[in-house]
Amino acid sequence: MKRILSLLSLCAVLAGPALAQPSATGPMPVPPADYTTDARRIAYVARANEVLQWYVDSIKPGDPATFAAGQIAVKLARREDAAAVSARVVELMSVPQSQDMFWMFPWTAISYLGRDQLTPEAKAAIRDAWRTYFPMRGDTENHWAMYYASLYLMTELYPNDPAAGWFNGKSSAENNAEARAYLIHWMDLATTIGQGEFNPTHYIGEYAIPMLYLATWARDPEMKIRGHMKLDWLLADLAENTLNGVLRGPNARTDDTSVIQRWMALSSYFSWQCFGNTPPPPSYGGFGVWFAVAAANYEVPEVVFRLANDRSQDYLQHDLKRSRRRWRYSDVLMAPVYKTNYMRHDYAVGSYQGGMADPIQTHVWDVTWAVPDPRGVHNTMFSAHPYASAQVMQTYFTELPDHMLELLAAQGKPSYDVPDKILGGSPYERVFQDLDTVVALYDIPAGTRYPRVNGFFSKDLANVTEDKSGWIFAQGGSTYLAYRPLAAFHWEHLLGYKQLPSTVGYKWERVDRGDKGDKLLVSPHLKNGTIVQAASAGEFKDFAAFQAAIVALPLEFKMDSVPTVKLKTLRGHEITCTFGEAPQVDGKKIDYSKWKLFEGPHLNAEKDSRKLTITHGRLERVLDFNTLTITDRVRPE
Amino acid sequence: MLLALLAGQAGAAVQHDLYLCAAFNNGSRVMGSKDGSSNGLFVRSGVDEFKHIGVNYPLTASATFDPRDANVIYVACLSGVLRTLDGGKSWRLVTGWAETEPKAIAVDFNEPDTVYTGLPDGIVVSRDRGQTWQRREKGLPERGKYTQVVRSDRSRKGRVFIGCESGLYVTENGADSWQRVLVTTETVDDIQQSPHDPKLWIAVTQSAGALLSRDGGATWKKIDGVPSDKALYNVAFDARDAKRFAIGSWSHGLLLSEDGGATWTVRNAGLPEPTRVWRTAIDPDSGEIYAAIFGQGLYVSGDSGRTWRTVAGMQGASIQTFTFVPKPSR
Repeated sequence: MKRILSLLSLCAVLAGPALAQPSATGPMPVPPADYTTDARRIAYVARANEVLQWYVDSIKPGDPATFAAGQIAVKLARREDAAAVSARVVELMSVPQSQDMFWMFPWTAISYLGRDQLTPEAKAAIRDAWRTYFPMRGDTENHWAMYYASLYLMTELYPNDPAAGWFNGKSSAENNAEARAYLIHWMDLATTIGQGEFNPTHYIGEYAIPMLYLATWARDPEMKIRGHMKLDWLLADLAENTLNGVLRGPNARTDDTSVIQRWMALSSYFSWQCFGNTPPPPSYGGFGVWFAVAAANYEVPEVVFRLANDRSQDYLQHDLKRSRRRWRYSDVLMAPVYKTNYMRHDYAVGSYQGGMADPIQTHVWDVTWAVPDPRGVHNTMFSAHPYASAQVMQTYFTELPDHMLELLAAQGKPSYDVPDKILGGSPYERVFQDLDTVVALYDIPAGTRYPRVNGFFSKDLANVTEDKSGWIFAQGGSTYLAYRPLAAFHWEHLLGYKQLPSTVGYKWERVDRGDKGDKLLVSPHLKNGTIVQAASAGEFKDFAAFQAAIVALPLEFKMDSVPTVKLKTLRGHEITCTFGEAPQVDGKKIDYSKWKLFEGPHLNAEKDSRKLTITHGRLERVLDFNTLTITDRVRPE
Repeated sequence: MLLALLAGQAGAAVQHDLYLCAAFNNGSRVMGSKDGSSNGLFVRSGVDEFKHIGVNYPLTASATFDPRDANVIYVACLSGVLRTLDGGKSWRLVTGWAETEPKAIAVDFNEPDTVYTGLPDGIVVSRDRGQTWQRREKGLPERGKYTQVVRSDRSRKGRVFIGCESGLYVTENGADSWQRVLVTTETVDDIQQSPHDPKLWIAVTQSAGALLSRDGGATWKKIDGVPSDKALYNVAFDARDAKRFAIGSWSHGLLLSEDGGATWTVRNAGLPEPTRVWRTAIDPDSGEIYAAIFGQGLYVSGDSGRTWRTVAGMQGASIQTFTFVPKPSR
C-alpha cells in the first residue's frame, strides 16, 4: 500500500538533531497587540529566521548526516557557504534518490534558492537527478499538489529540455503543460465544491508549501497569482478553524497524537509562523523549514491575521468541503462534507455530518477548550465509533482487500484496526451540531467489527462528575462540559502508542499511563448516542449552576429501533435528531443542499463561485479565481 | 499468463521470457519512504534468476507487450502507463494526470496498436500504441466501473473483457460500447482465457468465488469446488495441459485443479505461513507453478505444488503479475 506517513514521524527524516528551539520550548507567544503592517512583518520574518538559525545550528562539522536537504536550503536562503553547500549537494546527488514527491519539493526549493549560488556541478547534479530518479505521483491530493507544483517549477527552470531529460520521458513543455492543467483543475475543485483533505492537522504543509513556491518562483504570472491566492485561501481556512492557534476538529486527516493533543501538529507551525499565536511543534513540525526558506516572499494578509487572533466575538461558520475520492462501492466520486464551526473565546465546537470523509484519519467532531499553554494538554472531548473495514479501504484505495487492515500499523497508522481507537470516521455515525451542542447518533449493524462507541475523556479535565441524571459533567479550562452517553457504558484506561525502533516499517507498543492518563468511556451497544453541551464558566454562577441548568433541560431519546434524540439546548433551541433523517432545529429541517462553500461572519463563498470573501471587522479581502485578482478594501462603517 | 496464448496458438513449445512486476518492502511502504531497493519490472535471466530492468518504480501493477515486437512493453503503474519501445532502455509515462492508478493493461493481439487500460474510474483506449488515450465507456455505469483486470480475446479483434467492481463487461467492437455479462457485488479480480479453447474463460472474484464460461464469456457458471467465502486474486491456465488450472488467494493459498476444474486441491505445504498467495502462474514451457507470497517472495513447484523451492533473488518481494513473452517475437 502506498499511503502517506505521519508527519511527526517524518520529522526524524527531514529535520536535524533535537536542539533547543526558542519558540517551541520557550514561553507562550504574547498575543499580538500591534497589527500594523511593519510590526506583523518584522515578527513574521523573525519567526522564519528562527527556523533558519535552528537548522544552521544543527549542522555538526564532520557529521554529513546533519547537513541534509533542509540545512542546504537554509544555507542558500541565508546566502551562506555556497561552496560547501554545492559540494554537499553533489555528494547527496551521487547516490540513488527516493521519497517521491517528498524529494521533489525540497529539491525544487534548493534549485531555486541556489540558482545564483550553487556551482554548475551542483546544479547539474540536481538537474540530472530529475532525469534518473523516477518519483511516484502518489495517490492523494496532497501528493499531487507537491508533485505537480514541483514539476511545474522545475520545468519552468529548465523550459527547453527534451523528453530524454526528464524521468518520465516527457519534455519540459509537456510536463509543464500537464502540471499546469492539473494544478488549475485542483484549484477549480477546491474553489467550487470544496477542499478535499480539509483542515488537516499535518497535511496543510503539503498544500501550503507548494503554493508558497508557486507564489514565489512561478514565472507564469497566472500560476504565480494562483499560488498566492490559494495560499491565502488555505491560511484563511486555518485561521477560521484555530482556537488561539490550535487547529481542532473536524479534520479530514489527523493522527492518534494530534486528535487528543490538539496543538501537536504541523498546523501549529503554520499558526506560529503566520499568526504568532501558539508555539511551533518540535522540529517546527519537520516541514516548517520548507516554508521558512521562502517565507519572506509571502505576506500574511492582515484580515487573515486578525481572523486568526481575534477571539473576542463568537462566530458561527458553515463550510462545505469534500471527501477523498471514492473509487468504488460508492454512488459518488467525492461526497460533500458539511462543516459547522462555532468559535468562542473559551472553547470551540466543530463537526461535520458524520460518515466517511477519508478512510483512515478523519476526526468528525469535538469540543476543544482554550488553555493557557497547549503543549502536552489534551484539551478536547468527543466520541467515535471505532470502525475498520477492508471494503471501505477498497473504496478509497485501489488495492486488493486482505492486506490493508493488518499492514496499516506498519505504515504508521497504529490505531486503524483496534477496538479502542478514537481516530476515524464511521458510516454508522450521524452528527448534528447547533452552536455548542453536538448530538452524535450511532446505528451500528450487528456483526460490525467493533460494536461500541468510545468517548474520549482527557487527563486534563477537572471535576469529572457522573450525575444520577445520566449526564457526566466536567470542566476543561474555563469551559463547562456536559456529556450524555445514551447507552450503558464502562470506563477503561486509554492506552497510548509508543513507537519502537524499526528498520522495516513502523512498530508500536501500547502504553498504559494508569489513572494519570486519559480515559475512555466505552459503550458497547449498537444503538447508541452521545450528546455534548458546552458553556463558558463565566456564564454561570458556578459549576453546580451549570449542572443544574443542563439537568433541567428537556431531553427525550430512544435507542431501541432507530436512534432518536429530542432535546432543548442551553441556548434554548429544540433539536430533533433521528439517525438517517434530516435534523430539525425548532421544527425546521436542516437542508444541506443549500450549504454554501463558506458562510459566516468571516468567510463567505457561494458554491461553484471560485470566489472567497474574507472579512474581519471592516477589513475585506476578495480572492477571485475567475479573474485571478486579489482585492483588498476597508469597508465603510 | 497473458501470453502463453500465442504459444498455444502456434501449437509448439515456444520459449518465453518471463517478466514480473514486483516490489520489495511493499508491506510497510508508505509514500515518501526512504528506500534503496530496486522495484518494478524484472525479467528472468536464468533458472530461478531475475534481473531488474527499466525504471525503479515500486508500485507497478501489470505489464503487457506488443506481439509484433516484444521490445515494446507497457507497464501499468501508480502514475499511469509506462511504455518502452526499446526493450526497457528508455521509458515514457504515456498517460497524463487524468489517468491514474491503472491496475490492468492489455494489447489487442489481433490489432496490436490498440491498448486498453483499466482505471479506478473506467477505461481508456489507445489506438496508437499508447501515444494518446481516449475514454471509451459507453455502456459502463457511471459508478461501478472500477476496473481491476482487462483481458483481450485472442480469437477476435476488438473483443475485450474487463473485470469491474460491479461485474464483468465485454466489448465486441473495440470499446465503442460495453455490455455486462456477469453481475457481482464486489470486484472481479481476474479473468483468463484458456490457451487451449478460446471459448473457455475463468473469472475469479472478491466475493463470488470462481466462475467458468464455456461459450466465450456469454454465460457464466460458478465453479463449485472453489471456495467463495474469501477473495480469490488470480487464475492461471496451463498452456501444456488443458485440464490444469491454478488459483491464488490470500486466505486459501494455492488452489490447483488437474481435472478441468471438477476438483480442487490446496497446495500450500512448503509455502510460508500464513500462505498469502498474491499471484500464481503456470510456466508455459515447463509447466512449473509459481506462487507469489505477499511480502515473502516467489516460490516455484515442479511437482504440481507438492513441494516448493524459493527464488533467492526475489525473497521479500511482492509480485503483482507474471507476463510470459514468447521469445520468437523479439
